[in-house]
Amino acid sequence: MKGLLRRLGWIGLAALAIGLLAYGLEQVGLKPISLLEAGLLAMTPLALAAVGECVNEKAGVVNIGLEGILLITAVVGVWVAEQFNSGTAGLIGGMVVGALIGLVLGLLAVYGRADQIIAGMGVNIFALGFTPYLLMSLWAFPGIHIFPRELMVPRWTTPVGQISPVTLVAVLLAILAHILLHHTVLGFRIRAVGEKPEAVDVAGVRVDLLRLFTSILGGALCGLGGAFMPLAWFGGVVKEISAGRGFIALACVVFAGLEPLLALAAAFLFGLTEGIAYAVAVTPGVKERIPFYFVNMLPYITTLLVVALVIGQRRFPRTIGRPYARE
Amino acid sequence: MRRARPLLESLLAISIGLIAGGLLMLPFRYDPLKAYQALFQGAFGTPDDVLETLAFATPLMLTAITFAVGVRAGLFNIGAEGQMYMGAVSAVFAASFLPLPPGVHVLVATLVAMIGGALWSLIPALLKIGRGVHEVISTIMFNWIAFHLATYLAIYYLAEPGRAERTRPALPTARYPILAEGSTLTAVIFVAILFCLAVYFILWGTRLGYELRLVGENPEAARYAGVRIGRALLWSFLIGGMAAGLAGASQIIGRPPAWSLYATLGNVATLGFDGIGVALVGRNHPLGGILAAILFGALQHGGRFMEYHAGVVSELVRAVNGLIVITLAVPEIWTMLRRRLRR
Amino acid sequence: MREIHKVYPDGTVALRGVDFRLEPGEIVGLLGENGAGKTTLMKILSGLLPPTRGEIRIDGRPVRFRNPADALRAGIGMVHQIFTLVPPYTALENILLGQEGSALWLAKDRARDQVQRLLEELGLSIPLDVPVELLPIGVQQRVEIAKVLYRGTQVLILDEPTSALTPLEVEELFRFLQRLKEGGRSIVFITHKLREVLEISDRIVVLRNGRVTGEIPTPEATPELLAEWMVGRAVVPRVSRSPRPPGEPVLVVRDLEVMGDLGLLAVKGVSFEVRAGEIFGIAGVEGNGQSELAQALGGLRPIHRGEILLDGKPLTPLTPIEAYRRGIAHIPEDRLRFGMALNFDVAENSILSRQWEPAFLRGWGRLDWTRILTFAAELLQRFQVIAPGVRAVARSLSGGNQQKLVVGRELTKEPRLILAVHPTRGLDVASTAYIRELLVQMRDAGKAVLLISADLDEVLELSDRIAVMYEGKFLGMGPVEAFRREEIGLMMGGVAPQGRAV
Repeated sequence: MKGLLRRLGWIGLAALAIGLLAYGLEQVGLKPISLLEAGLLAMTPLALAAVGECVNEKAGVVNIGLEGILLITAVVGVWVAEQFNSGTAGLIGGMVVGALIGLVLGLLAVYGRADQIIAGMGVNIFALGFTPYLLMSLWAFPGIHIFPRELMVPRWTTPVGQISPVTLVAVLLAILAHILLHHTVLGFRIRAVGEKPEAVDVAGVRVDLLRLFTSILGGALCGLGGAFMPLAWFGGVVKEISAGRGFIALACVVFAGLEPLLALAAAFLFGLTEGIAYAVAVTPGVKERIPFYFVNMLPYITTLLVVALVIGQRRFPRTIGRPYARE
Repeated sequence: MRRARPLLESLLAISIGLIAGGLLMLPFRYDPLKAYQALFQGAFGTPDDVLETLAFATPLMLTAITFAVGVRAGLFNIGAEGQMYMGAVSAVFAASFLPLPPGVHVLVATLVAMIGGALWSLIPALLKIGRGVHEVISTIMFNWIAFHLATYLAIYYLAEPGRAERTRPALPTARYPILAEGSTLTAVIFVAILFCLAVYFILWGTRLGYELRLVGENPEAARYAGVRIGRALLWSFLIGGMAAGLAGASQIIGRPPAWSLYATLGNVATLGFDGIGVALVGRNHPLGGILAAILFGALQHGGRFMEYHAGVVSELVRAVNGLIVITLAVPEIWTMLRRRLRR
Repeated sequence: MREIHKVYPDGTVALRGVDFRLEPGEIVGLLGENGAGKTTLMKILSGLLPPTRGEIRIDGRPVRFRNPADALRAGIGMVHQIFTLVPPYTALENILLGQEGSALWLAKDRARDQVQRLLEELGLSIPLDVPVELLPIGVQQRVEIAKVLYRGTQVLILDEPTSALTPLEVEELFRFLQRLKEGGRSIVFITHKLREVLEISDRIVVLRNGRVTGEIPTPEATPELLAEWMVGRAVVPRVSRSPRPPGEPVLVVRDLEVMGDLGLLAVKGVSFEVRAGEIFGIAGVEGNGQSELAQALGGLRPIHRGEILLDGKPLTPLTPIEAYRRGIAHIPEDRLRFGMALNFDVAENSILSRQWEPAFLRGWGRLDWTRILTFAAELLQRFQVIAPGVRAVARSLSGGNQQKLVVGRELTKEPRLILAVHPTRGLDVASTAYIRELLVQMRDAGKAVLLISADLDEVLELSDRIAVMYEGKFLGMGPVEAFRREEIGLMMGGVAPQGRAV
């Protein structure tokens, strides 16, 4: 609890710093509101992927294929949306496909005793080729597809700018994941299985099912994040739409020490840097001064710095990434 | 039997990958048989095609080294992509902007590229050794940073005047000789193979390689043996970075007709990621990597023919690559299959 | 249990047709060497492993356990040798795991009363709200037992429950088991220690090599008979140790303090010396600072205070290679963890920790494979290591042969001091005897030997002088003849002998 408070304190400080930054940005001609808007949008896929992965890693399973899931579900989401003529259907489609990929990875990890890092990397490489293949096969156009604007999931207009309902869902899911982990029997068992699967096994609880469940859940949330990007954010899909977000989400998980609420906060932080980058790139008077390429590096540099700073203060489950077998 | 096992496992994974790739063609009404026939014909149909396949294999055997040397030291270094970009940029700088006498120029450009790649691996290495930052995260972030940095440099500093889409081409003195008329295969393949052999020798023939592999096999035993672990990891990163840098150079000063870097990085992009699959199929062994690189080179070169003749986008080859990697992640597949066969 | 067979997927035959029965309200001692199949048999009974053949009947009805939950429902629970506790969870949470009492919300407080009542009934005292990783081993074991009994277990299986306990804790455990028995529960007590089965059990079943070699009511049993059943004819030959005057001190340790992994002092000021031509043995229950002491001497762990002198000169810089260079041979406590790389071949393992020696190198840091291969072949021959060849992976060797390889590699370093930590743990009888003999040979050849072992018999048999380590300090040190066994037992439990210099 004390650790949590301290971490929240750090986040508060970070928020303050960002506030000051926002003020500074306004001075040079950027609008904080549009910044927040962009930040929240950028936060959403990161948060969804990271929150699911927190639960998954608590159970001792690592899914390094988040990047690949984001890519594939972005394309599939658009396709489903076009089939059903509904952006929401697309989001659900992305979730289902994400859950399926999570299921496959879970099966490989639990029953195939796969090397989870290699398997996840395999998913990423697969997605790198499969996405352009899908784009070409589905819409016969290389590398990019723009869908009709009506399919976009509408945003709500609020005093702090336009907010996507999916963003709210992401926040709710982070809270739910926290409750799941810390206040339910299922979460109690999930946390135990990551630390000592033997204990869970001899207590008569199925280790395999727990890990499959978290793997599917992680995949589903990530899939929602993937479908979110074209359907509620960009309005189109390109073959490198995920742009490393799967890995930034992993960094959020590391930063959060596997706590969903902190992962949400981390996602917001990274989202905001992305928002800043985006705002800098389009704001007249600023974009001429700072080369767009350097601004683009900002999220990655931030990620690296943050991880380098907090690493070592985080405890991870003992059996993370390791398959379980009875002797 | 025991010795043949890795080879059989790799062949099995390749088969599974190709079959699964074929299944992916079905929903879109492509004909997998026709596609694969076109692919293999394209890869090996004529002597020219074989040379072309080898040209595609050249950078892959190098980026495979990056991953393999990492794994041998217990690292998951997926930074070949970014290190290769930086190698390519360095090669452009040395080959196109430094006027040097023939002979020396090729050598200097090659070395500069290798140093560029190694330097780009240095920070993830230090973050790993000093702070324990997981190399997957740091190398991926560095890949993206390298992508933007290389694009920026290519457009603002290295571009050919009047042609923003690519950098100034390498001076003729810095180019590797083309091996056969009309082919894109150059003598750089010999440098690549030599590099692989050198890494093989280092890993199994020197104290450094012994210690590096010991760190990968059992870090605590390595400590007990008096190995300075940080140093072993650093060398693993640096050797990997040099390999990736050389891979980048091979596409600039060893690959006609461009002899330059596209501003989109299109002529080098994804070669680093492809190396992961190559390394795994080659069992993280430098010599196995050469064979696997030829196979993947064939897939890439043949993939273009597949696109012409069966309409299947060549990028599917990369999806097959991923499927092969996923298959190889599961050690049990082979055991399960054998048990089933015995029954 | 009738005609139980077990073949592991890797082809190891663990059980070859074992019959076993258990009456209500009795304690059965299941005796056997390492690898005799005791644990496998009980893992089958507790549902953790499926038998390859054979059947289990409870009250005459055949049952089939698919997993531990099935066995628990049938009232059978097992306390494993390696505890199955979730380290950061509290005792209460560990007891509740899998038996939370509700389907959705975790309500620990409601269950607390129930757990409390059970503990009172059993007469066990456990702090319920401390993470178990912070509890002493003895208390962790109580948590483990309470966890099993909380599920209404009638049959309790204990796998080597005394291996990490002090003699006092063992006594306490035995009293507790007696109470459970009187309450009508049945207990299976797995061990390889003769003295313990004779003390606690009502009936003894002996396993060897996957078969029952004997069964006897405890009052009729004698240690000699049991030993014969357990190891066959080849009872461990005692190593003969000729009296000889020790030489100059080789190793001198003064006021040594060493930190443990948790940042607390693990070695709290010990001083001793080891002379040429003597074996100095350190006894004690594991986890009392022996590992940290050994790691400091081997250059693997920095020292906090005090000094280590080798041949009169301080051992600095304190790195493994400096230690080796100065003549320390280190047989590490856990060969799989420190001593070898399983995927390296025999030749590569034969130069592990010697890869820096000029004898194995050519110019430019190249390995001299010709010499390494010759050397490895010599090791195999000289130390009776049975291996398919010098290029076979170490994984393909049996545990005893792996250890002989490690011991041989260390002893051929021409050392001044041999640091041997649990040198025979987990080995078969023949390898154990052979390695002990080698250590005595080294002593007779005038080397200094520092033996750290949790096996009290080993320490008593081999050592010229001994010390007992408890919580980072020595309680009692002197010639081996000066102590009685019971005295040492007390010291291992932290009771210092009266009037003896520490």
